[in-house]
Amino acid sequence: MSEFDAIVVGAGPAGASAAIRLASSKKNVLLVEKSDPPGSKNVSGGVLWGNGLSAIIPDWEKSAPVERFVDTKSVAFLTQDSKIGIDFSSKKLEQKKTGYTVLRARLDQWLARKAKEAGAMVINGVTVEKLHVEDGRVTGIEQDGDVITSDAVILCEGANPRVAINSGLRKPLSDHDVAIGVKEVIKLPENTINERFHLKSGAGFACEYVLGYLKGGLEAGGFLYTNKDSISVGIVVSMSHLRKNNATYSYNMIEEFTAHPYIAPLLQGGEMQEYSAHLVQEGGLRSIPKLFGNGYMIAGDSAGFSFSNGLVLQGMNYAIDSGIAAADTFAAAYDRKNYTENSFKSYQDRLEASYVMRDMRTFKGIGDVTWSPFVHKKVPAMLETLMMGLFMEEGRPKKHMTRMLLDALSQNDMLRVSSLMDTYRMMRRM
Amino acid sequence: MTLEIIVMVKQVPDKQEVVIDPVTMNLNRSLTRNVTNSADENALEAALRIKDKTGANVTVISMGPPQAETTMIECLARGADRAILASDRFFGGADTYPTGLTIAATISKTGKFDIIFAGEESSDSSTGHVGPGVAEFLDIDQITYASSVEYEDGHVIAERELEGGTEVVKVPLPVLVTVLLNSNTPRMQTLRRKIDATRKGIEMWDHDRIGLQPEWVGVRGSPTIVRKMNPIRERERAAKKIEVSSIGDLVDELYEKKILKLEDE
Repeated sequence: MSEFDAIVVGAGPAGASAAIRLASSKKNVLLVEKSDPPGSKNVSGGVLWGNGLSAIIPDWEKSAPVERFVDTKSVAFLTQDSKIGIDFSSKKLEQKKTGYTVLRARLDQWLARKAKEAGAMVINGVTVEKLHVEDGRVTGIEQDGDVITSDAVILCEGANPRVAINSGLRKPLSDHDVAIGVKEVIKLPENTINERFHLKSGAGFACEYVLGYLKGGLEAGGFLYTNKDSISVGIVVSMSHLRKNNATYSYNMIEEFTAHPYIAPLLQGGEMQEYSAHLVQEGGLRSIPKLFGNGYMIAGDSAGFSFSNGLVLQGMNYAIDSGIAAADTFAAAYDRKNYTENSFKSYQDRLEASYVMRDMRTFKGIGDVTWSPFVHKKVPAMLETLMMGLFMEEGRPKKHMTRMLLDALSQNDMLRVSSLMDTYRMMRRM
Repeated sequence: MTLEIIVMVKQVPDKQEVVIDPVTMNLNRSLTRNVTNSADENALEAALRIKDKTGANVTVISMGPPQAETTMIECLARGADRAILASDRFFGGADTYPTGLTIAATISKTGKFDIIFAGEESSDSSTGHVGPGVAEFLDIDQITYASSVEYEDGHVIAERELEGGTEVVKVPLPVLVTVLLNSNTPRMQTLRRKIDATRKGIEMWDHDRIGLQPEWVGVRGSPTIVRKMNPIRERERAAKKIEVSSIGDLVDELYEKKILKLEDE
């Protein structure tokens, strides 16, 4: 007889969602989290896209500690002197509320409280060491020499899945699987943010940036999200790039980004409240481990369910939905009293049928595009040339627009077969 | 007879995160994480070491709002046997006098007590009053600022840190001991113990259960009135670049600017 029906390791969106779902169907569930309180070791802050939480907390939009709904979503290329971007602001975003900026320290604590209210036992401040395996089946977890038994374990450890690695369920992370995210939270009055970003009260701005101009030639992505009375701003740089450029430090990169002529004014006068760094899963489809086995399932970032397709960085939505899928799979197995690999096979099926695995497949290989010199260097340089051409008045007759585009392409060495191939590849993968 | 040990604990805001609200001048507790007062963890550890040797019963007692439950659970998870939280809206706004009274009354209600441990002081108010206050309310001996504590045959032998030396005292039971911060290394909470502690849960006692009149406790029972708080304002530091060609010139320059002074000046 196991002490718990299920143990969930990690109280982020994946783990808390799994625990809430399990506890709501009267399962005896233990949710273990290393940070105390939950969320205090988290860096993501972050846009929560989608409505996945409604499956477990129907009124979450009213009760969750969200910051602002995203009413303007942008993407922009930055060069040394310029910003070339697209802004999408829409009344439709206000009506549909497709994404909310969140600060995870608050959100995770709230989710853990919801899990407790639903009946889960929530334990913070303890780091699980590894899974307990008997006769080839996971039957619990180990911590400080003790074994806590359960019929199944759902691993939702986040981007650095120590237990899964220690237990041999995941290969140690390679440089290609992860990026490093560095974030600052800058405190600014709510009104200042509203004025600076032209936002109505409650509405938010979220932007991802391509930062090919940074010193050392590193390809990094930037982000800037408005919270209620602060701004989350930071960079994400691939570990393999960072490794290749030993002279470049991530903390210099974020400083360079926040000092950019079109970023600095947005942050001006703000006071830095937090500074943190964390791993980000970037491996995409190829880094996804085997998702289930005898007595266990893996969900959220632990499973590699997070990536950026260049326009938007996503992870929390996949975490929530994979956590719920794992809980539902467990519930079905519970009814059969069968926790073998075979019984958990439907976890994979659930994910394949949902947008989680479909997105992972649709955007497989996207990392090669989002982290390519093509996107980071050539495209921004070409756009800058083109824009300057379009808006420069030299008292001479202007060229035809197509001519200008061709000139811009050729000046930036993009009128080559390889560049056309790059473009084709990019379009295909996006 | 089993030795009955009481440990007084307090939940405090995490020192590193304390923010003073610039408008109200109060501690802004909504933003801070609450933790167990560090010296109280040392007090609990001192008690648990005696428990390890003698099989004593260890009861932790605190006064505070319901969210102090997490601190009480933590104490159970480190090895305490029972946790009682004196919690009542009447207890709110207490200074050290009714706090001592409330805790002393709670201890009395538990029945027999042999050794009472407390941290030397709390990190949020640093008065060091409550431990000695409880000893006075209970009319028992007290040993303050103990750096090590042993139990031996109906006595507590404690080493006290004094200016310029240490003092070893031997006191018969019952006795209250306040324990120095960092005088030992508190044991870890394990997952096993945390699960068991969560299941066991804590006891919440209100003024009625403890047998206290509302006018004796909380803000009404407090002789202290805080009239004003003055936060320390950071002074602006002036940084200036001084260009000189030699160290000697630099010294002269600093002397002229009255940054350096001669010893007899």
